[in-house]
Amino acid sequence: MSDTGTIVIVGAGIAGVHAAESLRKEGYQGRIVLLDSDNQMPYDRPPLSKEWMTGVKDDDNILLRDPSRYESLDIDLKLGVEVKDIDPVHKILYTKDGSSYQWDKLMLATGSQLRTLSIDGDDLEGIFYLRKMADAKAIKQYVQHVQEVVIIGAGFIGAEMASSLKQLGIDVTIVERSSYPMENIVGRQISQYFLDLHRRNGVNVITNDSVVQFNGETTVEEAVTAGGQRIPCQAVMLSVGVVPNTVVSHPQLQTNDGYVVNEYGETSISDVYAAGDCTSWPYQGVPVHIEHWDHAVNHAKKVSQNMINPQSSPYAYIPYFWSEQYNNRFQYFGHAKTWSKTILRASTDTNMFTYFYLDDQNVPKAAFISNQPKNALPIRRMIKQENPVNPEDLADENISLKKVQRVLT
Amino acid sequence: MQHTDSSDSISKSSYIYVCSSSELEENDLTECETETKTIVVGRSEGKVYAVDGICSHEYSELIDGELEDSCLICPLHFACFDIRDGSVLEGPAEDPLQTYDVIEKDGSIWVNDGKEE
Repeated sequence: MSDTGTIVIVGAGIAGVHAAESLRKEGYQGRIVLLDSDNQMPYDRPPLSKEWMTGVKDDDNILLRDPSRYESLDIDLKLGVEVKDIDPVHKILYTKDGSSYQWDKLMLATGSQLRTLSIDGDDLEGIFYLRKMADAKAIKQYVQHVQEVVIIGAGFIGAEMASSLKQLGIDVTIVERSSYPMENIVGRQISQYFLDLHRRNGVNVITNDSVVQFNGETTVEEAVTAGGQRIPCQAVMLSVGVVPNTVVSHPQLQTNDGYVVNEYGETSISDVYAAGDCTSWPYQGVPVHIEHWDHAVNHAKKVSQNMINPQSSPYAYIPYFWSEQYNNRFQYFGHAKTWSKTILRASTDTNMFTYFYLDDQNVPKAAFISNQPKNALPIRRMIKQENPVNPEDLADENISLKKVQRVLT
Repeated sequence: MQHTDSSDSISKSSYIYVCSSSELEENDLTECETETKTIVVGRSEGKVYAVDGICSHEYSELIDGELEDSCLICPLHFACFDIRDGSVLEGPAEDPLQTYDVIEKDGSIWVNDGKEE
């Protein structure tokens, strides 16, 4: 199918754009239609809570590609288009504006959608979620005249926004439902490190409590918690996570924490593929759902190859994400729902350390790196190799990571 | 960009000392800070090359990356550059890295931080 036919891609986020581009790089000469419900030219989301929010990057800096690129690659980009439904038998996609698109192969790259909360008084002005560029613009505009912000949720977006808003001179209070934010991902010690980091940087963090009410005349003036705290604020940001966006649905299209795909990105419907945040895919033999930029890029590239040459290129990438907070750079490799042992290499006191998550066989399943970028590539290799390591060596900074790998227990 | 002869027309005075030859083994990287630039110097298949030390995609110091088969890998988003000519081998970077003149002579490595012709 190299010269004729049509591939339709739903979603022009990082996955969809990379898929379209990869199809061309791999020599696909048929028609490529790239649809998105957003009206903006495709942009990069990570900077919205970081460099774009603080003003280091402007609108042009965060476009995924120069607008002329889509034309030069002959990618038919359709913005502001919402999918109504799909007919897999006749291979037609219907949109809400009454258009239809015939496909030979379809890729779903619909990404994530916001998890939302319903809180008494949340119709007041000044209460925001962050997902799209339009959200980010609204927040940035609004907080120019604001002194106090409440952030609900101390996950990565909440933490990055706290860091960015603090940098803009705004007083920030984070209200986090759990006692240890992100403990299920990073473990208690690193969770505690994050709490300390916020507090050291002058951010007020309230844990083990929830906002139950917003008060104000027309705009929000205070947030009230279940624990009875009344926090004065002129703006609120809710950052309580995302869920897979499986807006394109069909009875035969299997979903379970995202579109279920195999290692080639094939869904349960023939010639329908999916990539990125919206999928559940097999990682080291177990279905996982990953919501990260790097995964979306690489998954989309691999799945595109399989759309051209079916089942040619299995996806086996080590999940990875990075974050920036208060001038610290964090990197996380791998994926571990549970672990048997954790190993700290260097001390958290200096903000330069690496933390490993080992299984019961002492195999490193994941690692969290703080301001030690030199460890990134050796750790990625280490996790990919799935070999047991000596935990004592791993904790010893004097033993290079390359050397640790060779020590078997 | 590879020079092994000191009779080269380029004046050595515009060159900055990087390190001794023995300090830079195959696939090793070292960093050199000049007044205006951060340059990363590496050895691939015996030859020494020098390119921008900061990734063209986002701020990340390439000295923290790795050199493998003349491919310089960024440790932040894993963009790959050909250290021989600075070209992009793998995204997310779009723009190539600037290359710089290097001289290896008498057991020493020198780099010129001016733009290459």
